[in-house]
Amino acid sequence: MTDSAPSLSPLIHLVDDDAAVRDSLSLLISTVGLRVQTWADPQSFMAGFDRASIGAIVLDVRMPGISGLTVLEQLLAQGVDQPMILLTGHGTVEMCRRAFKAGAAEFLEKPVDDEVLIEALQNAVRQHVRSRERHQADQQARERFVQLSAREREVLGLIVEGLTNKEIGRALELSPRTVETHRANLFAKLGAESLAQLIRRYAALVDAAE
Amino acid sequence: MQPRAKATQPPCQNPRMLPAWRLLLRHTPHLPSLLLWALVACAGSGWLAVNRLQQLHAAFETDARIVHRLLSQRVVQHDAIMATLALLQPAAAADDLHNAASPLPRLTSVYPQILAVLQRAAHSDWPPALQAELAAAEATSRRTGHAAMAGLNLPAGRYYLVLAGTPGSYALHIDLRTTIPTDEWPMDMATSPVRVTLERSGAAFVVQPGHANQGSGIRSYDFHKLLAAPSQPLDVVARRSVGLHELPWWGMLGWCLLTAALWAAGRALWRQRVARQRAEELLRLGQVARLNTLGELAAGMAHELNQPLTALLSSTQAAQRLLADDPPELATAQTAMARAVEQARRASTVVGRLRRLVERPDLAAQAQPLALPTAVQDVLHLLEPEMAQRGVVPEVSAPPDLPQVLAEPVALQQIIHNLLMNALQALEQVPPPERQLYLTMARAGAGHVALSVRDHGPGIPPEARQHLFEPFYTTRTGGLGLGLTLCESLAQAMGAQLTLAPEATSPPAAHRGAEFVLTLCAAPTAHDR
Repeated sequence: MTDSAPSLSPLIHLVDDDAAVRDSLSLLISTVGLRVQTWADPQSFMAGFDRASIGAIVLDVRMPGISGLTVLEQLLAQGVDQPMILLTGHGTVEMCRRAFKAGAAEFLEKPVDDEVLIEALQNAVRQHVRSRERHQADQQARERFVQLSAREREVLGLIVEGLTNKEIGRALELSPRTVETHRANLFAKLGAESLAQLIRRYAALVDAAE
Repeated sequence: MQPRAKATQPPCQNPRMLPAWRLLLRHTPHLPSLLLWALVACAGSGWLAVNRLQQLHAAFETDARIVHRLLSQRVVQHDAIMATLALLQPAAAADDLHNAASPLPRLTSVYPQILAVLQRAAHSDWPPALQAELAAAEATSRRTGHAAMAGLNLPAGRYYLVLAGTPGSYALHIDLRTTIPTDEWPMDMATSPVRVTLERSGAAFVVQPGHANQGSGIRSYDFHKLLAAPSQPLDVVARRSVGLHELPWWGMLGWCLLTAALWAAGRALWRQRVARQRAEELLRLGQVARLNTLGELAAGMAHELNQPLTALLSSTQAAQRLLADDPPELATAQTAMARAVEQARRASTVVGRLRRLVERPDLAAQAQPLALPTAVQDVLHLLEPEMAQRGVVPEVSAPPDLPQVLAEPVALQQIIHNLLMNALQALEQVPPPERQLYLTMARAGAGHVALSVRDHGPGIPPEARQHLFEPFYTTRTGGLGLGLTLCESLAQAMGAQLTLAPEATSPPAAHRGAEFVLTLCAAPTAHDR
């Protein structure tokens, strides 16, 4: 069902103006099987990176021209959903506070220990995958929901409220048989396999449609 | 584009146009105070002048009234004499004017102003030359009941006074010159500036000539009053004109000079205050700038070192992981290790560059002989506000024969400044009455002079004592931990030594606190050479 997600391994974007840092960090990250794409400056990164990719972004705070913190704020404003990890050589409490307030997933000090960095990256990737899946499921549910007829939506609404077929028939002035037909149709259209699944996936959409 | 560029030239590039008074102020910053001085000087001088004029006027009025009173008294005397004559005239002897028993001839010797006494017996005439005038006056006298004047010759100061009587009438020939009571006169008749005259019908008798500059003065006073004798209606006229030379010029000049001196003193004080404020501000600015520089340096150093360290750590850890793989990825691990070596070298280059950057010039070469007590006083003067704020009064002692020391003046001041600041901050932690601070200078062995800075603060905990001179070690929150390190380096650079005096074992309360000793080389004296 979620096969449309990128099947490749997660991609880490590493932005740092120092070539030696880029090389060594990307080597370290690649030892745990994560793919790394390195960027020497924030401008080319923001212009060129694949926003659809699954993974995370590692930003150095101190870069010429534009601070990593500013890059983070701009990317979030543009709706980028990859978790972002900030790296700094001279971290202050104030900078740390600002980073988390702005929405950083993690704030690490240089030099960073391999385990700390890798754990942070793996957490970030897991978080991103989960959020993408949730987003995708929501998207699919929404697409299916719009295929329902008006009567079917009414029936679905009452099912979600926990009414039986008989009660639905009485409420909508339909015969129980007709209700049964609508019920079968909407189960098929929404691809639900059980009542519990139907309610879990669509209760929020029914509420939103009302 | 060309004309547009010209048009958009920002106006701030031109010298800003200021109002004329601001320009004037900029070039003569003391103008307002100078104007104030001029105002005060003028007002004071004006007051002095007006005061003098009032004094002169009052004196003039008083003198004129005295003159009027004196003259009136004398002239009234004439009436009295005539009345007495008229009363006493012996009816029988009326014909014999020059009778020996007659008092008339003696009258002229008693009253010098009476030149002659004339008597007209009944049915006779006045002397022929005077007959017409005296007869007319006699008629007037008979009509009014009191004496009347005749033959008035004011320029010469002579006149006749006639009193009609029965049976005979009398006339006195009076000389005004001798009428003036010179012994009682209120003014010096020769030099007084007041002109006094007796006037009648445009003619005048000059009693006192007064000064020459009549009418040319800045102010003139007048006094007119008739003599208080109805028989002799002469007008007493006093005039006085005040010349410029009579103003209190010396007083005014003195006032101007006094205020000018005050103004100059005020200006000097003001300048001194401004200079001192500026010096203090510069000092504070310098401290802030130094702190900023240090902060920048620390941030820069952290970044410069963190980059290679990050690369180094990550490369070695990557190599570890690659070697732990099964099978180990030897080739990649080797590359990672080579990279690590390279980054370690890079870090060491950064450290070397920083060292060269902050290296100080050789202070020993700039050391010069100077008086240590003076340097201490200079720093104490700079720190006066800090001392006063904490209620600390330092006790400074130095033997009079203390030799000069070899030191670089600025470095020495910096060391003393830092030591005193440390002591002051330590003293903040004890109650004000216990805030004692001792600066003791003394010879220390051969060729050395020691300055001891001892405070009565809480002292230095034993665990801190051994780290005290280490860079970035501090017992204060927010301290950089560079003060004592800097002092020690400065001292060593000029051949001096900064030490922490050993703590007294089981310190009694009187001896707690910290004591730092700066041992300097004594300057070789002429005697030594």
